[in-house]
Amino acid sequence: MAMNPLPSSVFADAASNYDFEQLAAIYNEARTDYIVPMPMNAPRMEAYIREHDIDLDASVVLLNPSNEPIGVGMLGVRDRRGWITRLGVLPNCRGYKGGEFMMRRLIEHGQMRGVKWIQLEVIEGNEPAHRLFLKLGFAPTRELLVIRRPPGMPRADLPYPDARMTVLTPDEVMGCLAHRPPGASWIEETPSLLKAGKLKGLHVELPTGQGGWLVYQASLFQLAHFVLNLPDDSAEEAAYALLYALHQQHPKQDTKVENIPTGDIPWHIFQALGYVEAFRRIEMVLTIP
Amino acid sequence: MSVIVVIEDNADNARLVAKLLRPTGHQVLLAADGESGLMTVFENLPELVLVDLGLPDIDGQTVVGMIRQQDGLEHTLVIAFTAWPEHAAHEMAEAYGCDGVITKPIDTRAFAGQVCAYLLHEPSA
Repeated sequence: MAMNPLPSSVFADAASNYDFEQLAAIYNEARTDYIVPMPMNAPRMEAYIREHDIDLDASVVLLNPSNEPIGVGMLGVRDRRGWITRLGVLPNCRGYKGGEFMMRRLIEHGQMRGVKWIQLEVIEGNEPAHRLFLKLGFAPTRELLVIRRPPGMPRADLPYPDARMTVLTPDEVMGCLAHRPPGASWIEETPSLLKAGKLKGLHVELPTGQGGWLVYQASLFQLAHFVLNLPDDSAEEAAYALLYALHQQHPKQDTKVENIPTGDIPWHIFQALGYVEAFRRIEMVLTIP
Repeated sequence: MSVIVVIEDNADNARLVAKLLRPTGHQVLLAADGESGLMTVFENLPELVLVDLGLPDIDGQTVVGMIRQQDGLEHTLVIAFTAWPEHAAHEMAEAYGCDGVITKPIDTRAFAGQVCAYLLHEPSA
């Protein structure tokens, strides 16, 4: 890939030279005016870096000529694949191609690590970032949904599902994950889920004999990281039964499901059970020759 | 006088909100993250909570969900305080049982009036 001249007024430092507190502070400041700001404290940043295989030596902190941090960008690496995340430049430091400078460094660091394919996600509506990624050769691959559901039992007027439900053992949960089809977004891939932990699972058997399962993370306040396996010709019935049982078992937890490809789930079933769309992301990929 | 809890991680925003609400005579308590915000709410049983939907430890929606399930807070007004696009903010706030939304950046001249209107059950926005 042709590299443009780098801006002479900024520098990139390895993110590994900063602690989680500092990285969270730079990231929060850079994202303060974003469409959907998602601030992080130090423990959350640490967990994010660990769970998603962020290589801090390959990740960058952008410095101004006074050596003050003005931006951050991170690179996750899994085998020959890379993932760019947490990219942002402080609002009053934008317009000097600092974001592009970091992106080029991250791509270069990926190449040095043998990465052949780099993916990222951009929130729908973040046009400057989307334009930058297109300029750098990233191509959109699919649209991803982020959905939420407030705590609570399924609505009383909803019919009780006609299905047999079983709680999966930890070994069965691992078995489901081992046989899941490929194609999850980076943060929902099995390595991320295994590191996030607190995984549980439900299996449904419909009267027709068809089965499906749901693996999910249940933390104290929140249900997250859904992996759904639904039978092709009874996807709606299975999804309904699984979600109904899930929220019956966990009525006190909020639910946040990230990066579900649009079209992969029977959305109206989710809506009936109280889910709302929070926002959408566009997944983009750069293939490195 | 009412007790208002403001759960907002951005220190500048929190200071501004406190400064704007102080002349109203209400007691304003600040919390910089979800966990301390929930503690402040549970200990003080405020009349109104302003919750930033983007918090650094627990999502604002999760905080609202916790408040809505807590006994003794049935009459507490919960207002989402967010920079999200207006449509998404309103949809999310409604789904989580918020009583209203105040979008950022705030109108400094109208802000205190907006909050007081909620306390009088006359939301102005």
